[in-house]
Amino acid sequence: MGGRSLDDRQVRSGSPNEAELMLLQSRTRRHFLRNLGGGLGSLFLGTLASNLVPSAKASGAENYGLDFSRDARAPLSPLPPQFPARARRVIYLHMAGAPSQLELFEYKPELKRLDGQDCPASFLAGKRFAFISGVPKLLGSQYPFHQAGQSGQWISDRLPHIEKHADDICFIKSMRTDQFNHAPAQLLVQTGNPRLGYASFGSWVIYGLGTENQNLPGFIVLLSGGKSPDGGKQLWSSGFLPSVYQGVQCRSHGEPVLYLDNPSGVSRSLRRSMLDTIDDINQQTYAAFGNPETVTRIAQYEMAFRMQMDATDAMDIRKEPDSVHAQYGSKPGETSFANNCLVARRLAERGVRFIQLYHWGWDSHGADAKEALNLGFNDRCREVDQPTAALLADLKSRGLLEDTLVVWGGEFGRTPMRENRGGQQMKYVGRDHNPGAFTIWLAGGGVKPGITHGVTDEMGYEIVKDPVEIRDLHATLLYLLGFDHHKLNYRFQGLEQKLTSVKPSRVVAEILA
Amino acid sequence: MSVPDRISDQSGGPSVTASDHRRFLSRSRFEFAMLAPILAVAALATFWPPDGNERGEWVQFIGRFHPLFTHFPIALFLLVPILEIAGRNARFTYLRLSVNFVLTLATIAATAAAVLGWCLARSGGYSGRLITQHMWGGVSLSIVCWICWLLRARLRELASAYTVALALGIGLVSWTGYRGGQLSLGPNHLTEHMPGGLRALLGVGSNREAFGLPADPNTFYGARIQPIFTARCINCHGEDKHKGNLRLDGYKALMRGGKNGPAIQAGNAQASDLFRRISLPASHDDFMPKGKSPLTPDQVKAIELWIGAGASQTLAVDAIKNAPSGPASPSEVTFAEVDPAAVAKMRSAVAPAISQLQKQFPNVLDYDSRGSADLRLNASLLGSKFGDRDLEAFAPVADHIVIADFSRTAVTDHSANAIAAMKRLRVLRIVNTQLTDAALSRFDALNQLESLDVYGAPITPAVLPVIAKLPKLLHFYAGQTGIRPGNSVPEALAGKIVF
Repeated sequence: MGGRSLDDRQVRSGSPNEAELMLLQSRTRRHFLRNLGGGLGSLFLGTLASNLVPSAKASGAENYGLDFSRDARAPLSPLPPQFPARARRVIYLHMAGAPSQLELFEYKPELKRLDGQDCPASFLAGKRFAFISGVPKLLGSQYPFHQAGQSGQWISDRLPHIEKHADDICFIKSMRTDQFNHAPAQLLVQTGNPRLGYASFGSWVIYGLGTENQNLPGFIVLLSGGKSPDGGKQLWSSGFLPSVYQGVQCRSHGEPVLYLDNPSGVSRSLRRSMLDTIDDINQQTYAAFGNPETVTRIAQYEMAFRMQMDATDAMDIRKEPDSVHAQYGSKPGETSFANNCLVARRLAERGVRFIQLYHWGWDSHGADAKEALNLGFNDRCREVDQPTAALLADLKSRGLLEDTLVVWGGEFGRTPMRENRGGQQMKYVGRDHNPGAFTIWLAGGGVKPGITHGVTDEMGYEIVKDPVEIRDLHATLLYLLGFDHHKLNYRFQGLEQKLTSVKPSRVVAEILA
Repeated sequence: MSVPDRISDQSGGPSVTASDHRRFLSRSRFEFAMLAPILAVAALATFWPPDGNERGEWVQFIGRFHPLFTHFPIALFLLVPILEIAGRNARFTYLRLSVNFVLTLATIAATAAAVLGWCLARSGGYSGRLITQHMWGGVSLSIVCWICWLLRARLRELASAYTVALALGIGLVSWTGYRGGQLSLGPNHLTEHMPGGLRALLGVGSNREAFGLPADPNTFYGARIQPIFTARCINCHGEDKHKGNLRLDGYKALMRGGKNGPAIQAGNAQASDLFRRISLPASHDDFMPKGKSPLTPDQVKAIELWIGAGASQTLAVDAIKNAPSGPASPSEVTFAEVDPAAVAKMRSAVAPAISQLQKQFPNVLDYDSRGSADLRLNASLLGSKFGDRDLEAFAPVADHIVIADFSRTAVTDHSANAIAAMKRLRVLRIVNTQLTDAALSRFDALNQLESLDVYGAPITPAVLPVIAKLPKLLHFYAGQTGIRPGNSVPEALAGKIVF
């Protein structure tokens, strides 16, 4: 064995293609014999069947997936969408923890009337809850509602700034999920699948479209609210897609990307000559082994070098005038949703394809003051209301809302019943998780403004009209970005993997402008 | 084929003649007893043919068993040649003993199927060539069955006549069965899902050719009216089933009307029977579509307006101004197929110039989509590194550019003509550039422009009249310019200007 592995090393180092050599070495006589019979048979069937069966070829195999191949040195280079797109970039504002639709967008006077009464048994039969046990009480909205804008959409008094954009917003009040815990539900919203290991929405988008600004990552993630979302970094992972398509988590003050700056004493030119040397070695490695990941590595170093200039500039909100800070409520030097919204606008202007903001703290169970509907929830509303509205206004006045898709929402809804952890009345007011109905709103990028899609029952508990599954939302967003969700796929584990997974998904045509 | 000596009848005793004679008489009676119902059904088919009207519940209820029952005569009759042929083998001669019995059953079954078929045809609202052929095919088959049975039982010397009758019967079974299949599954039910390869091999045409040309989608009739009929009416008023003798599968048929006369009085919706019926309450006897949900108010309105406007086949799709926007809110999105060859052809003229420019200015110029030769020019990421000189390089592809973004670039008024030459521009952004009113006043040539973004550029209200004349403009972003929300804005720009 010792002698053999020495030979291997010698042969390998001289080989143009390591993978092929490995493959050849693992072939045995059994493989040959098996392939001989099966191979001849399948050759025959292949020629015969291709004529008789309406195979993938007949329905356009070359069209089944689109070609996303790129020069290995520029894996993020832009590609045109499949058909003319209404949206060119996405700003996704994920409210981690699932904000209560019943305190914000769902006006339910009947629920208010029944406030404090026992929940009907039909609400509980066959349902699973995170914390509710026994018979909970119905809980009316904690805040008054009114109609806003020309379109007269109902909204509560907690979002006084966002309501000024009621005519720009399309509410989907009939969102539905099949997950009732935060991490899997967030994964479902962001990757189309409640399990780990799938590519995120942002990864799919930059895989399909690339990004225009090669000096910045194409998919940038910004966090606020004091905690990471429960789904963790998997929410912006590239899953089975090449790792270059994953989201890059940036910080909104200080160094935007950790370890991006040169260490003290290292000048930019010194860094350049160091990179040149590393590139040289990598080039030699590539010549020897032909592994495309090596080229990706070279491209990543080069991008980091370019980012040293542009990322710092893009993230530096001190360059904005005071009037803009007043509009957003942003304060340079903090980590806040307001700062992140302002950064999001700066990134959108600079051609970043997918910008994702997570704001943590919406999990209003009422177990303590921070997560009570009448206390902590107010703070969350204040934290996001003005910046979100400012972002919409800013994008609109700069003409960017026209081709920027803004998405705002959590991972599921909240129950019309008051949470009674352990069957006891709790000190603070809260609601449990409800996967059966929740609200997500969209604005800009080819979405019909000033409308509400979908209706829930009088309690806001279940959908009675036009349910929209998460995969339907994904299909719709991809459609606005110029893709047929079937065609934006990637072959992995024997399947054309898609964001919308394998169940049939529908583009929600009713909300398209 | 030689018919064996009537094996079944060779149990005769000593009084051969008398018993033979009695048997002959009884057999004759039996034979005519079998023929009578066949003649009866032929008479029904002759004097009471299917006429497209629906009738009594009982008749239709019985008739509905026709498709089920019809398999018996088919199977029984096709069994006969199998028995005959297999029986020629010495080991299976006993099979031929059953032929007579099977033929008897086949004749009875064929007659019963024909009666049931008549019940269905007469009461189920059928009429037309297809049903007539199928009906007479069925009746003829009963007769042929009967003849075969007759010949097989008594005429040993006419063996070849029996063979001919049998062959004729097989042909009739196939043809009638095929016609029946067409009635229930559609005129091209056999080839509809034939794989492409086999289709080419057999020389069967594409299944699309079977349906005639669709109505012209640029007409109001083709775009708005016919789709309603196609979706809601032609199941009963179509090519194969035309209840009330009315067909709604084409303009001519529609205008011809049905048994109650014309369905449409051009120019007068209220006097049109079709409109009266679709606008009745669903509980009314005359309501259409019978037993189904009513047409939507928008559909009824569209039909009313169309009839009122003269029920023309050629009226343009947008000719009726106050028509409800029916298909404008599509319920389903369809994904356009991209034909790579067609796209390559479209692009062939400009492709070399484009790839040259893409090398010179990486990530600035690209196709708007994979399916078009339209271009998108985004110079904003080059910032001040992109100037008038650079823009000149794009002249060869100017009339392919539909979206152009010069935001934050060093482009000046010198480029006004170069931008104005991009005649097909839909979106133009010159955010934070130094372009002035002088440049904008040249943009009156951009008559496709839908969105103009001059945020932060030194533009003044003086240019508003020029912008107001852009015919397709939907959005004019004028924030941070000399134009202020207080300025008097031309009426044409009201609701389009955004600050």
